[in-house]
Amino acid sequence: MASRARLSEVCCPQHPEAHLIEDYRAGDQICSECGLVVGDRVIDVGSEWRTFSNEKANSDPSRVGGPENPLLNGSDLSTIIGPGTGSASFDGFGGTKYQNRRSMSSSDRALINAFREISNMADKINLPKTIVDRANVLFKQVHDGKNLKGRSNDAIASASLYIACRQEGVPRTFKEICAVSKISKKEIGRCFKLILKALETQVDLITTGDFMSRFCSNLGLPTSAQKAATHIARKAVDLDIVPGRSPISVAAAAIYMASQASDDKRTQKEIGDIAGVADVTIRQSYKLMYPHAKELFPEDFKFSTPIELLPQL
Amino acid sequence: MDHMLPSPGFSIPSIGTPLAPAGEEEMILPSAQQQQQQQSAQQHNQQQQSQQQGQQQQGQQAYSGGFTPHSMMQPHTPVSNVFSYKIRNIVSTVNLNCKLDLKKIALHARNAEYNPKRFAAVIMRIREPRTTALIFSSGKMVCTGAKSEDDSRLAARKYARIVQKLGFPAKFLEFKIQNMVGSCDVKFPIRLEGLVLTHSQFSSYEPELFPGLIYRMVKPRIVLLIFVSGKVVLTGAKVRGQIYEAFDNIYPILKSFKKQ
Repeated sequence: MASRARLSEVCCPQHPEAHLIEDYRAGDQICSECGLVVGDRVIDVGSEWRTFSNEKANSDPSRVGGPENPLLNGSDLSTIIGPGTGSASFDGFGGTKYQNRRSMSSSDRALINAFREISNMADKINLPKTIVDRANVLFKQVHDGKNLKGRSNDAIASASLYIACRQEGVPRTFKEICAVSKISKKEIGRCFKLILKALETQVDLITTGDFMSRFCSNLGLPTSAQKAATHIARKAVDLDIVPGRSPISVAAAAIYMASQASDDKRTQKEIGDIAGVADVTIRQSYKLMYPHAKELFPEDFKFSTPIELLPQL
Repeated sequence: MDHMLPSPGFSIPSIGTPLAPAGEEEMILPSAQQQQQQQSAQQHNQQQQSQQQGQQQQGQQAYSGGFTPHSMMQPHTPVSNVFSYKIRNIVSTVNLNCKLDLKKIALHARNAEYNPKRFAAVIMRIREPRTTALIFSSGKMVCTGAKSEDDSRLAARKYARIVQKLGFPAKFLEFKIQNMVGSCDVKFPIRLEGLVLTHSQFSSYEPELFPGLIYRMVKPRIVLLIFVSGKVVLTGAKVRGQIYEAFDNIYPILKSFKKQ
């Protein structure tokens, strides 16, 4: 057998400097100079069973267990008893023996619930996985910080989804998040401010252009109208025609103006439904923008209704 | 953009207190400017001492006394003397130091409403000074709606007198002003987006939630609501001097974000 060196590394007694070749299948370490087997019972890290490429199999036999979620506390390598296979796992009455569903890590339970909520909410408004992941990370950070412990987890989840959308550059309005969540806009707004304070981050201010593509495609407007509306809204903010108005209202009024000047007309009520603003709000912003309509439209816009005939509410 | 101030975060020990703007400094002679800084330091010390004594009148006098010879020496006057701003509301509390029977008070007093299912206090109003008081059964009372500190104290005394006349041994202990709200107008429109970009650690501007910018000043701990029109609401002050000080601090910042 091999004698251990002072450095507690195995080496060949005749060739201490020789590189050792490791053969995992036999569990040996072999000296490359003389072929002496110096390692013994090195643990075989090869796979336990043979795997064949099988397209129909829904479980990959070369993997043991599911993917580990780094956000959860799962790196403590705890295991649970899985569902039984075969008839021996059922007792006389048909119930399963060895039930072990209860004691899952209790600290993770809130996290898992929240992740599921975030995933459900994001699914309803078709948010991509990057935003969901970011929202999960934010939730975990808030949860670890513990200064928002008193707030309902659903509220924190909704607010972290809102912040994730903002941080990715595709903000959703509070009303859109409200529509997929049980929490009121007021509570989401409060949690939003608290989370920003707790995590010491900032978010960019919302602009009118962030919502144009979404609102216009929901209304079914052609891209020419969308481009015109974007231009109108940006010009209106630059010329400071609508001071103090929420960017959503300005965007909605710009869409109204662009759609009224093109073939595809939309009423204020329809736009208000999509954007989540009242139609009187659109009317107010439109009244401010109407006198400057000539400067607001882009130069290459094809008017089906000329500016003079635009509705004057 | 030459009036743009540096972010206070990384220049000054007391975060939230901005440096004097460059534009106004040019109007002042260097020797006079040094005197102004000394004077403002002195006036600060005076104010702190008088605030510790807890007497608002003395604070006011020290403030104006500190500035009279000061303003004679240089053209620069503190902006709070120039702009009309008003204290709009004062909230104060006082302890009457005796247990009260709210039902009896509600029945015998005029202008009192008591709805125990909705709120556990008697809501009483007097016409002169026009104020509202919440009177609790423990003997504590909250007085709101007064426009000046003296009015608040006077109104609280009147309420205590009413309670006394109803037969309770009411005293007038620990009258304390808890909150003062003031509003003013800088008379020019303000670029809130610029302000939230530079002072992001103190400001919060969410047009979806509230149309004004919420600025939480640290040095006098005051919350300011700043609107696009140039109107500013200041709240959270315990003494009048804090509102003056907060407005003096915010005015140069707002001037640098004036809309052209």
